[in-house]
Amino acid sequence: MDYFAGIDIGSTAVKIVVIDEDRQVIGNKTAATGALVYKNAQTAFMNLLGEIGLERKHISYLTTTGYGRKLFPDADETISEITANAVGAREVGKPFGTIRTIINIGGQDSKGISLDENGNVTNFAMNDRCAAGTGRFLDMAARNLEIEVSDLGPFHFKAQGTPAAVNATCAVFAESEIIGLLGNGHEREEIVQGIHFSIAKRTIRLVKRVGIEELIYFDGGPALNTGLVAALEDELGRRLVIPPLPQITTAYGAAIIGLESHGFEKQERAEVGEAVVVFSGHGCQGCSCG
Amino acid sequence: MTVEQHQREIETAQHRHARHQGMEAGEVLDTVEKAFAGNPQNMQYFYDLFRDVYCNGIKPHPGKEMIGTMCVQIPDEIIHAAGGVPVRMCNGFYTDEEIGGEFMPAKSCSLVKASLGMLKSETNPYSDGIKVIVNPTTCDQKKKAAGMMREMGYNVYDMELPPVKESEEGREYWRRSVRKFTHEVGKLTGKKVSRKGLKQTIKTVGLAQRAYHRLNNLRKQTPVPILGKDIFMVTNAYFFDDLERWTAATEALCEEIEARVAAGHNAAGRRSPRIVFTGSPPVFPNLKLPLMIEQADGVIVADETCSSNRLLNDMVSVDEWFMYDMVDAIADRYLKSCTCPIFTMNDDRIRRLIELYRSFNADGIVYQAFAGCSVYEMEQRSVAKAMEKEGIPMLYIETDYSPSHSGQLLTRIEAFMESLKARGRHK
Repeated sequence: MDYFAGIDIGSTAVKIVVIDEDRQVIGNKTAATGALVYKNAQTAFMNLLGEIGLERKHISYLTTTGYGRKLFPDADETISEITANAVGAREVGKPFGTIRTIINIGGQDSKGISLDENGNVTNFAMNDRCAAGTGRFLDMAARNLEIEVSDLGPFHFKAQGTPAAVNATCAVFAESEIIGLLGNGHEREEIVQGIHFSIAKRTIRLVKRVGIEELIYFDGGPALNTGLVAALEDELGRRLVIPPLPQITTAYGAAIIGLESHGFEKQERAEVGEAVVVFSGHGCQGCSCG
Repeated sequence: MTVEQHQREIETAQHRHARHQGMEAGEVLDTVEKAFAGNPQNMQYFYDLFRDVYCNGIKPHPGKEMIGTMCVQIPDEIIHAAGGVPVRMCNGFYTDEEIGGEFMPAKSCSLVKASLGMLKSETNPYSDGIKVIVNPTTCDQKKKAAGMMREMGYNVYDMELPPVKESEEGREYWRRSVRKFTHEVGKLTGKKVSRKGLKQTIKTVGLAQRAYHRLNNLRKQTPVPILGKDIFMVTNAYFFDDLERWTAATEALCEEIEARVAAGHNAAGRRSPRIVFTGSPPVFPNLKLPLMIEQADGVIVADETCSSNRLLNDMVSVDEWFMYDMVDAIADRYLKSCTCPIFTMNDDRIRRLIELYRSFNADGIVYQAFAGCSVYEMEQRSVAKAMEKEGIPMLYIETDYSPSHSGQLLTRIEAFMESLKARGRHK
């Protein structure tokens, strides 16, 4: 049995997925990226392998993606997170139909990706050098409101009045904005709702640049926030496809790309001729000599 | 603190700036030279030229009368005929941009900031010999830069360019502007532009253009025999190099590249997407985006920028070799072929892009806009629409000279290359 790993090294978290030949997820893990990117990613990878009872040599192909993709030297292939995200969403979204638009909100950026009928990327837009409307912004807001990030969803639905008007154009100034709103007597629930609507509007403006077509898939850590999901759906007037584990779609996509690349290489070796096939028949594993 | 500590010698701002500039240029040159395998041997002339001027402090054109130009629209032929050496002062240094940032609005374009920063810093390689800076009335930032340059003590000549190029009024306005310049530049250099002299310089500049065309046409080949980063080095060298020496070096390079074509040499990867580069001009050492594209397995096969193709593409077409006809022909060559977004209408740019995409057998277009260059930023929409209609994939990137967001840029560029490769497989 061949196994394939995808490691998505993001700005905030490392996401790792291991799949088998049937594209089934055998295990997954999320860990903080930290400053020692390679060391942390490597440790998390080894821990995951231990948890699922595999060794490094069982992984036939390792693909890395995300900002830190080039910092992981023993990867067989690196791929941009945009392509990996598209492949992952195409696979995960299959039961719902054909995914044509992806909204991704990560720790420090947000993206809109449009796909053709075959799941190939046709266009994409990314925000740049600004944490407004990203996971980091939600972190900051939760801290200023003295609640947990996981409380943001429940707070959203508990709001009584109108959502507070939050500008949310700058993560740095959000603090003073929130303090101002609290000072004006707004409830925290209203502020949370206001933040979600503000991020939703901002994100939709970005995604509109690539065109919004059904089905729409929403992933990245902030997709766990049910309040934000509701705000996006309300603003769009459409339902979103939310995967069960929205953080790991991109890592899953990377693993699938690895599986496909591995297949191509095997096929190429078979086409080149016997000599090479004999060579690979020695049970040579864990390296990329192919 | 001890008195000795207090007396520690502090590096002068000028020295520090020169050192940083050398580092910046050196780093880019190292990438251009060493990050790619199999550079053409005749590129060494160009690599060394940049290293001499920007790292080793060798000033170009010692003892000669240099005329600074702030735009591709300033006619070289006329400056040469008046005995001057045109030196393009559009600048690509981040270190200079930071200096410009001290007195320019935060949201202004990197190129204008860096060019003014260079002039302010006095460490620029041309500080001694610049007689006059010829500044065009193109975009607002360049126009207003003229006042700032005067404040710094430079002698500035305003070259008036119309905002419309289709109208007869615009054409006549520009012709009058060029006629006046022909007259005035002679007064500045002390050498009147003569009929014989101008005929000669139209020819010498034409020879440089011919060399460029010979080189550029080789990029139509599959596999592509030379990388885009080298072409940008060649065309950027035209900014300040001796005209005849540049032509000879380019012709020598052509010989080598033609031999490469005959041998079927591929300068890029096996599946490298072929890219047309357009938008805000890459000026050494700001080759950030072109280098990123080619390090992400793309290859730039053509460009539509005023620091490269637009600089040398169009030639002067003279009917009769009389003074009035030559000057008007020069005026037409500069105005009619210009595809700068400062014009009210710029359909020519879209036509040029489609033509380049087709004739150079490209897979996609990368559009660079410097943050703060509102005309390129605004024109993005109409260009993107036109390309979508033609089914031409285009990546739009807004950036500046700062190296701070290269991680995000690289992700976009790699994703674009991956999507072009996937598209190629399905074709």
